[in-house]
Amino acid sequence: MLDLSSFNNLQLDAIREVGNIGTGNAATALSKLLSCMIDMDVPKADLVSIYSLSEYYGDPDTIVAAVFVRSLGDFGCSLIFIQNEEDSALMVDLLLKQQFGEIPPDLPQEMLDSAFGEVGNIILSSFLNAVNMLIGTEHQISVPGIAHDMLASILDVVASIFGQLGDMALVVNTELRIGGNENERNISGHIVMLPDPNALELLLRKLQVL
Amino acid sequence: MENTYHVGMADLVVAAAPATLITLGLGSCIGLVIFDSVAKVVGMAHIMLPDSRGSKAVEKVGKFADTAVPAVIDEMLKKGASKTRMKAKIAGGAQMFAVPGANTDFLAVGARNIKETTDMLSKAGIPLVASDTGGNKGRTVEFSTNTWMLTIKTLGKGKTEI
Repeated sequence: MLDLSSFNNLQLDAIREVGNIGTGNAATALSKLLSCMIDMDVPKADLVSIYSLSEYYGDPDTIVAAVFVRSLGDFGCSLIFIQNEEDSALMVDLLLKQQFGEIPPDLPQEMLDSAFGEVGNIILSSFLNAVNMLIGTEHQISVPGIAHDMLASILDVVASIFGQLGDMALVVNTELRIGGNENERNISGHIVMLPDPNALELLLRKLQVL
Repeated sequence: MENTYHVGMADLVVAAAPATLITLGLGSCIGLVIFDSVAKVVGMAHIMLPDSRGSKAVEKVGKFADTAVPAVIDEMLKKGASKTRMKAKIAGGAQMFAVPGANTDFLAVGARNIKETTDMLSKAGIPLVASDTGGNKGRTVEFSTNTWMLTIKTLGKGKTEI
Protein backbone atom coordinates (compact mmCIF):
# COMPACT_ATOMS: atom_id res chain seq x y z
CA MET A 1 0.00 0.00 0.00
CA LEU A 2 1.28 3.43 -0.92
CA ASP A 3 1.90 5.91 1.79
CA LEU A 4 0.18 9.16 0.90
CA SER A 5 2.71 11.22 2.82
CA SER A 6 5.46 9.98 0.50
CA PHE A 7 3.81 11.34 -2.66
CA ASN A 8 6.09 13.55 -4.70
CA ASN A 9 5.20 16.48 -6.94
CA LEU A 10 5.70 14.53 -10.15
CA GLN A 11 3.14 11.98 -8.99
CA LEU A 12 0.66 14.66 -7.95
CA ASP A 13 1.17 16.38 -11.33
CA ALA A 14 0.43 13.12 -13.13
CA ILE A 15 -2.75 12.64 -11.12
CA ARG A 16 -3.75 16.25 -11.81
CA GLU A 17 -3.34 15.51 -15.52
CA VAL A 18 -5.76 12.59 -15.10
CA GLY A 19 -8.17 15.09 -13.59
CA ASN A 20 -7.64 17.40 -16.53
CA ILE A 21 -8.49 14.73 -19.08
CA GLY A 22 -11.51 13.58 -17.10
CA THR A 23 -12.81 17.11 -16.68
CA GLY A 24 -12.39 17.92 -20.36
CA ASN A 25 -14.55 14.99 -21.27
CA ALA A 26 -17.12 15.80 -18.59
CA ALA A 27 -17.32 19.43 -19.74
CA THR A 28 -17.90 18.34 -23.34
CA ALA A 29 -20.69 15.99 -22.30
CA LEU A 30 -22.39 18.63 -20.16
CA SER A 31 -22.05 21.20 -22.91
CA LYS A 32 -23.81 18.86 -25.36
CA LEU A 33 -26.52 17.99 -22.86
CA LEU A 34 -27.37 21.60 -21.98
CA SER A 35 -26.37 23.20 -25.31
CA CYS A 36 -24.35 25.89 -23.61
CA MET A 37 -20.81 26.98 -22.96
CA ILE A 38 -18.97 25.26 -20.13
CA ASP A 39 -15.83 26.71 -18.55
CA MET A 40 -13.51 24.56 -16.55
CA ASP A 41 -10.80 25.33 -14.05
CA VAL A 42 -7.38 23.75 -14.11
CA PRO A 43 -7.89 20.72 -11.87
CA LYS A 44 -6.03 20.32 -8.63
CA ALA A 45 -4.71 17.15 -7.04
CA ASP A 46 -4.23 17.76 -3.35
CA LEU A 47 -3.38 15.90 -0.23
CA VAL A 48 -5.80 17.23 2.35
CA SER A 49 -6.03 16.47 6.04
CA ILE A 50 -9.24 14.50 6.59
CA TYR A 51 -9.91 16.66 9.67
CA SER A 52 -10.15 19.86 7.66
CA LEU A 53 -11.92 18.65 4.52
CA SER A 54 -14.94 20.89 4.94
CA GLU A 55 -12.76 23.97 5.41
CA TYR A 56 -10.93 22.96 2.23
CA TYR A 57 -14.21 22.97 0.29
CA GLY A 58 -15.94 25.86 2.04
CA ASP A 59 -18.31 26.30 4.94
CA PRO A 60 -19.28 23.01 6.68
CA ASP A 61 -22.87 24.26 7.07
CA THR A 62 -23.45 25.02 3.39
CA ILE A 63 -26.42 23.16 1.95
CA VAL A 64 -25.32 21.20 -1.09
CA ALA A 65 -26.67 18.70 -3.56
CA ALA A 66 -24.41 15.80 -4.41
CA VAL A 67 -24.27 12.82 -6.74
CA PHE A 68 -22.08 9.86 -5.83
CA VAL A 69 -20.96 7.07 -8.16
CA ARG A 70 -18.59 4.20 -7.72
CA SER A 71 -16.18 2.92 -10.33
CA LEU A 72 -16.56 -0.85 -10.47
CA GLY A 73 -13.75 -1.61 -12.91
CA ASP A 74 -10.11 -2.42 -12.19
CA PHE A 75 -9.44 1.15 -11.20
CA GLY A 76 -11.45 1.48 -8.00
CA CYS A 77 -12.50 4.97 -7.16
CA SER A 78 -15.41 7.03 -5.94
CA LEU A 79 -16.61 10.18 -7.65
CA ILE A 80 -18.76 12.93 -6.21
CA PHE A 81 -20.33 15.87 -8.00
CA ILE A 82 -21.14 18.65 -5.51
CA GLN A 83 -23.10 21.84 -6.07
CA ASN A 84 -24.59 24.50 -3.88
CA GLU A 85 -28.30 23.79 -3.56
CA GLU A 86 -29.21 26.96 -5.53
CA ASP A 87 -26.79 26.14 -8.34
CA SER A 88 -28.19 22.64 -8.55
CA ALA A 89 -31.75 23.98 -8.82
CA LEU A 90 -30.69 26.38 -11.59
CA MET A 91 -28.95 23.62 -13.48
CA VAL A 92 -32.02 21.36 -13.30
CA ASP A 93 -34.15 24.28 -14.58
CA LEU A 94 -31.77 24.69 -17.47
CA LEU A 95 -32.01 21.00 -18.35
CA LEU A 96 -35.82 20.96 -18.15
CA LYS A 97 -36.11 24.10 -20.31
CA GLN A 98 -33.77 22.44 -22.78
CA GLN A 99 -35.86 19.27 -22.90
CA PHE A 100 -39.41 20.58 -22.59
CA GLY A 101 -39.19 24.20 -23.75
CA GLU A 102 -40.63 25.28 -20.46
CA ILE A 103 -40.63 23.88 -16.96
CA PRO A 104 -43.81 21.90 -16.32
CA PRO A 105 -45.59 23.31 -13.25
CA ASP A 106 -45.79 21.36 -9.98
CA LEU A 107 -43.04 18.93 -10.77
CA PRO A 108 -42.59 16.63 -7.79
CA GLN A 109 -39.27 16.80 -5.95
CA GLU A 110 -38.51 13.21 -7.04
CA MET A 111 -38.52 14.32 -10.68
CA LEU A 112 -36.17 17.19 -9.95
CA ASP A 113 -33.88 14.88 -7.98
CA SER A 114 -33.93 12.36 -10.76
CA ALA A 115 -32.99 15.04 -13.30
CA PHE A 116 -30.18 16.25 -11.07
CA GLY A 117 -28.95 12.69 -10.55
CA GLU A 118 -28.93 12.12 -14.29
CA VAL A 119 -26.88 15.24 -15.01
CA GLY A 120 -24.44 14.28 -12.25
CA ASN A 121 -24.28 10.75 -13.59
CA ILE A 122 -23.44 11.98 -17.09
CA ILE A 123 -20.74 14.32 -15.78
CA LEU A 124 -19.14 11.66 -13.60
CA SER A 125 -19.44 8.84 -16.14
CA SER A 126 -17.80 11.00 -18.80
CA PHE A 127 -15.04 11.90 -16.38
CA LEU A 128 -14.42 8.28 -15.43
CA ASN A 129 -14.66 7.06 -18.99
CA ALA A 130 -11.82 9.36 -20.05
CA VAL A 131 -9.70 8.25 -17.11
CA ASN A 132 -10.26 4.57 -17.89
CA MET A 133 -9.41 5.15 -21.55
CA LEU A 134 -6.21 6.91 -20.53
CA ILE A 135 -4.95 4.21 -18.23
CA GLY A 136 -6.45 1.32 -20.18
CA THR A 137 -8.78 -0.05 -17.53
CA GLU A 138 -12.26 -1.42 -17.93
CA HIS A 139 -15.09 1.09 -17.57
CA GLN A 140 -17.88 0.06 -15.23
CA ILE A 141 -19.88 2.41 -13.11
CA SER A 142 -22.57 2.09 -10.43
CA VAL A 143 -25.94 3.77 -10.53
CA PRO A 144 -25.84 7.22 -8.94
CA GLY A 145 -26.73 7.99 -5.33
CA ILE A 146 -28.14 11.43 -4.56
CA ALA A 147 -28.07 13.49 -1.36
CA HIS A 148 -29.10 16.98 -0.30
CA ASP A 149 -27.36 17.89 2.89
CA MET A 150 -24.75 19.86 4.77
CA LEU A 151 -21.35 19.94 3.10
CA ALA A 152 -19.64 18.49 6.17
CA SER A 153 -22.00 15.48 6.24
CA ILE A 154 -21.37 14.72 2.57
CA LEU A 155 -17.62 14.93 3.13
CA ASP A 156 -17.82 12.28 5.87
CA VAL A 157 -17.83 9.82 2.97
CA VAL A 158 -14.40 11.07 1.92
CA ALA A 159 -13.07 11.05 5.48
CA SER A 160 -14.25 7.51 6.13
CA ILE A 161 -12.67 6.17 2.92
CA PHE A 162 -9.23 7.51 3.80
CA GLY A 163 -9.55 7.63 7.59
CA GLN A 164 -8.89 3.96 8.23
CA LEU A 165 -5.41 4.24 6.70
CA GLY A 166 -4.25 7.59 7.90
CA ASP A 167 -4.91 11.25 8.23
CA MET A 168 -4.65 12.40 4.63
CA ALA A 169 -7.03 12.15 1.67
CA LEU A 170 -5.97 12.39 -1.95
CA VAL A 171 -8.58 14.41 -3.81
CA VAL A 172 -8.72 15.52 -7.40
CA ASN A 173 -10.90 18.60 -7.74
CA THR A 174 -12.19 20.67 -10.52
CA GLU A 175 -14.87 23.24 -11.04
CA LEU A 176 -17.23 23.45 -14.01
CA ARG A 177 -19.08 26.65 -14.77
CA ILE A 178 -22.14 26.77 -16.94
CA GLY A 179 -22.24 30.11 -18.72
CA GLY A 180 -23.03 31.54 -22.10
CA ASN A 181 -26.01 33.55 -20.95
CA GLU A 182 -24.92 37.05 -19.92
CA ASN A 183 -28.11 37.84 -18.06
CA GLU A 184 -28.08 34.88 -15.76
CA ARG A 185 -25.61 34.08 -13.05
CA ASN A 186 -23.09 31.38 -13.69
CA ILE A 187 -23.78 27.94 -12.30
CA SER A 188 -20.84 26.07 -10.89
CA GLY A 189 -20.24 22.57 -9.62
CA HIS A 190 -17.31 20.57 -8.30
CA ILE A 191 -16.14 17.16 -9.44
CA VAL A 192 -14.25 15.27 -6.76
CA MET A 193 -12.38 12.09 -7.65
CA LEU A 194 -11.28 9.85 -4.79
CA PRO A 195 -9.06 7.00 -5.93
CA ASP A 196 -9.24 4.03 -3.58
CA PRO A 197 -6.07 3.95 -1.51
CA ASN A 198 -5.26 0.52 -2.94
CA ALA A 199 -5.90 1.67 -6.54
CA LEU A 200 -3.31 4.44 -6.38
CA GLU A 201 -0.45 2.11 -7.13
CA LEU A 202 -2.19 0.91 -10.31
CA LEU A 203 -2.86 4.49 -11.35
CA LEU A 204 0.72 5.64 -10.81
CA ARG A 205 2.16 2.59 -12.53
CA LYS A 206 -0.03 3.16 -15.61
CA LEU A 207 1.06 6.78 -15.65
CA GLN A 208 4.69 5.60 -15.36
CA VAL A 209 5.46 7.69 -12.34
CA LEU A 210 6.03 4.89 -9.85
CA MET B 1 -19.20 32.37 32.21
CA GLU B 2 -20.53 29.89 29.76
CA ASN B 3 -18.03 28.44 27.32
CA THR B 4 -18.83 27.22 23.83
CA TYR B 5 -16.68 24.50 22.36
CA HIS B 6 -16.66 23.42 18.73
CA VAL B 7 -15.77 19.76 18.51
CA GLY B 8 -14.04 19.14 15.18
CA MET B 9 -13.79 15.91 13.21
CA ALA B 10 -12.15 13.23 15.39
CA ASP B 11 -11.82 15.68 18.27
CA LEU B 12 -12.74 15.12 21.88
CA VAL B 13 -13.61 17.84 24.41
CA VAL B 14 -14.33 17.46 28.12
CA ALA B 15 -15.57 20.52 29.98
CA ALA B 16 -17.03 21.66 33.28
CA ALA B 17 -20.47 23.30 33.35
CA PRO B 18 -21.63 25.80 32.28
CA ALA B 19 -20.71 24.77 28.75
CA THR B 20 -22.16 24.30 25.31
CA LEU B 21 -20.56 21.75 23.00
CA ILE B 22 -21.27 21.82 19.30
CA THR B 23 -20.35 19.57 16.44
CA LEU B 24 -21.31 20.36 12.85
CA GLY B 25 -22.48 18.22 10.00
CA LEU B 26 -22.33 14.67 11.31
CA GLY B 27 -22.89 12.35 8.36
CA SER B 28 -21.77 8.81 9.03
CA CYS B 29 -19.89 10.14 12.06
CA ILE B 30 -21.21 9.88 15.61
CA GLY B 31 -21.61 12.70 18.09
CA LEU B 32 -21.08 11.05 21.47
CA VAL B 33 -21.99 12.89 24.67
CA ILE B 34 -21.27 11.54 28.14
CA PHE B 35 -22.30 13.62 31.15
CA ASP B 36 -22.41 13.62 34.93
CA SER B 37 -24.99 16.17 36.00
CA VAL B 38 -23.99 16.00 39.65
CA ALA B 39 -20.28 16.70 39.16
CA LYS B 40 -21.35 18.96 36.27
CA VAL B 41 -18.89 17.55 33.76
CA VAL B 42 -19.58 16.78 30.12
CA GLY B 43 -17.57 15.23 27.32
CA MET B 44 -18.20 15.15 23.59
CA ALA B 45 -16.42 13.24 20.82
CA HIS B 46 -16.85 13.37 17.04
CA ILE B 47 -16.26 9.73 16.13
CA MET B 48 -15.41 8.97 12.47
CA LEU B 49 -14.83 5.24 12.33
CA PRO B 50 -15.73 2.17 14.38
CA ASP B 51 -12.48 0.42 14.93
CA SER B 52 -8.86 1.47 15.38
CA ARG B 53 -7.51 -1.99 14.57
CA GLY B 54 -5.78 -1.95 11.18
CA SER B 55 -4.82 1.65 11.65
CA LYS B 56 -1.11 2.28 12.12
CA ALA B 57 -0.93 4.75 14.95
CA VAL B 58 -3.88 6.43 16.60
CA GLU B 59 -2.96 10.08 16.91
CA LYS B 60 -6.47 11.27 17.63
CA VAL B 61 -8.25 9.04 20.11
CA GLY B 62 -11.56 10.72 19.26
CA LYS B 63 -11.43 9.28 15.73
CA PHE B 64 -12.46 5.69 16.52
CA ALA B 65 -15.36 4.45 18.64
CA ASP B 66 -13.19 1.89 20.43
CA THR B 67 -10.68 4.53 21.55
CA ALA B 68 -13.00 7.53 21.96
CA VAL B 69 -15.39 6.02 24.53
CA PRO B 70 -12.68 5.10 27.08
CA ALA B 71 -10.83 8.37 26.43
CA VAL B 72 -13.90 10.53 27.15
CA ILE B 73 -14.55 8.54 30.35
CA ASP B 74 -10.92 8.94 31.51
CA GLU B 75 -10.89 12.69 30.87
CA MET B 76 -14.17 13.08 32.75
CA LEU B 77 -12.87 11.09 35.73
CA LYS B 78 -9.89 13.47 35.86
CA LYS B 79 -12.31 16.38 36.07
CA GLY B 80 -14.14 14.87 39.02
CA ALA B 81 -16.96 12.92 37.37
CA SER B 82 -18.08 9.59 38.76
CA LYS B 83 -18.50 6.61 36.49
CA THR B 84 -21.61 5.43 38.32
CA ARG B 85 -23.40 8.69 37.50
CA MET B 86 -22.35 8.92 33.86
CA LYS B 87 -25.03 8.84 31.18
CA ALA B 88 -24.62 8.91 27.41
CA LYS B 89 -26.47 10.31 24.41
CA ILE B 90 -25.53 9.73 20.80
CA ALA B 91 -26.54 11.10 17.41
CA GLY B 92 -25.36 10.48 13.85
CA GLY B 93 -24.38 7.36 11.93
CA ALA B 94 -26.35 8.19 8.79
CA GLN B 95 -25.70 6.65 5.40
CA MET B 96 -25.42 9.63 3.09
CA PHE B 97 -25.55 7.77 -0.23
CA ALA B 98 -27.16 4.53 -1.25
CA VAL B 99 -25.79 2.91 -4.37
CA PRO B 100 -27.69 -0.27 -5.19
CA GLY B 101 -25.79 -3.18 -6.65
CA ALA B 102 -22.31 -1.89 -5.97
CA ASN B 103 -19.96 -3.28 -3.37
CA THR B 104 -20.05 -0.21 -1.20
CA ASP B 105 -19.70 -1.46 2.35
CA PHE B 106 -17.76 1.68 3.15
CA LEU B 107 -20.93 3.73 2.58
CA ALA B 108 -22.55 1.86 5.48
CA VAL B 109 -19.85 2.88 7.94
CA GLY B 110 -22.50 4.85 9.88
CA ALA B 111 -24.26 1.65 10.97
CA ARG B 112 -20.96 0.17 12.14
CA ASN B 113 -20.17 3.38 14.02
CA ILE B 114 -23.50 3.16 15.88
CA LYS B 115 -22.98 -0.49 16.80
CA GLU B 116 -19.41 -0.08 18.02
CA THR B 117 -20.22 3.06 20.02
CA THR B 118 -23.21 1.47 21.77
CA ASP B 119 -21.20 -1.72 22.39
CA MET B 120 -18.35 0.25 23.94
CA LEU B 121 -20.77 2.16 26.17
CA SER B 122 -22.45 -0.99 27.45
CA LYS B 123 -19.05 -2.59 28.05
CA ALA B 124 -18.15 0.43 30.17
CA GLY B 125 -21.49 0.13 31.99
CA ILE B 126 -22.71 3.57 30.95
CA PRO B 127 -26.44 3.78 30.19
CA LEU B 128 -27.35 5.18 26.79
CA VAL B 129 -30.32 7.35 27.76
CA ALA B 130 -31.16 8.83 24.34
CA SER B 131 -30.14 8.44 20.74
CA ASP B 132 -31.01 9.70 17.28
CA THR B 133 -29.11 7.60 14.79
CA GLY B 134 -29.19 6.15 11.29
CA GLY B 135 -31.26 7.38 8.38
CA ASN B 136 -29.78 9.24 5.44
CA LYS B 137 -29.57 12.81 6.72
CA GLY B 138 -26.71 14.72 8.29
CA ARG B 139 -27.06 16.20 11.77
CA THR B 140 -25.65 19.19 13.60
CA VAL B 141 -25.71 18.67 17.35
CA GLU B 142 -25.43 20.94 20.35
CA PHE B 143 -25.32 19.90 24.00
CA SER B 144 -25.98 22.39 26.77
CA THR B 145 -25.27 21.84 30.45
CA ASN B 146 -28.16 24.21 31.29
CA THR B 147 -30.66 21.54 30.30
CA TRP B 148 -28.43 18.46 29.81
CA MET B 149 -30.25 18.03 26.51
CA LEU B 150 -28.84 17.32 23.07
CA THR B 151 -30.35 19.48 20.34
CA ILE B 152 -30.22 17.97 16.87
CA LYS B 153 -30.68 19.95 13.67
CA THR B 154 -31.47 18.02 10.51
CA LEU B 155 -31.95 19.53 7.07
CA GLY B 156 -35.65 19.69 6.22
CA LYS B 157 -36.76 18.38 9.63
CA GLY B 158 -35.82 21.25 11.89
CA LYS B 159 -34.75 20.82 15.52
CA THR B 160 -35.37 17.98 17.95
CA GLU B 161 -34.22 17.59 21.53
CA ILE B 162 -33.28 14.31 23.11
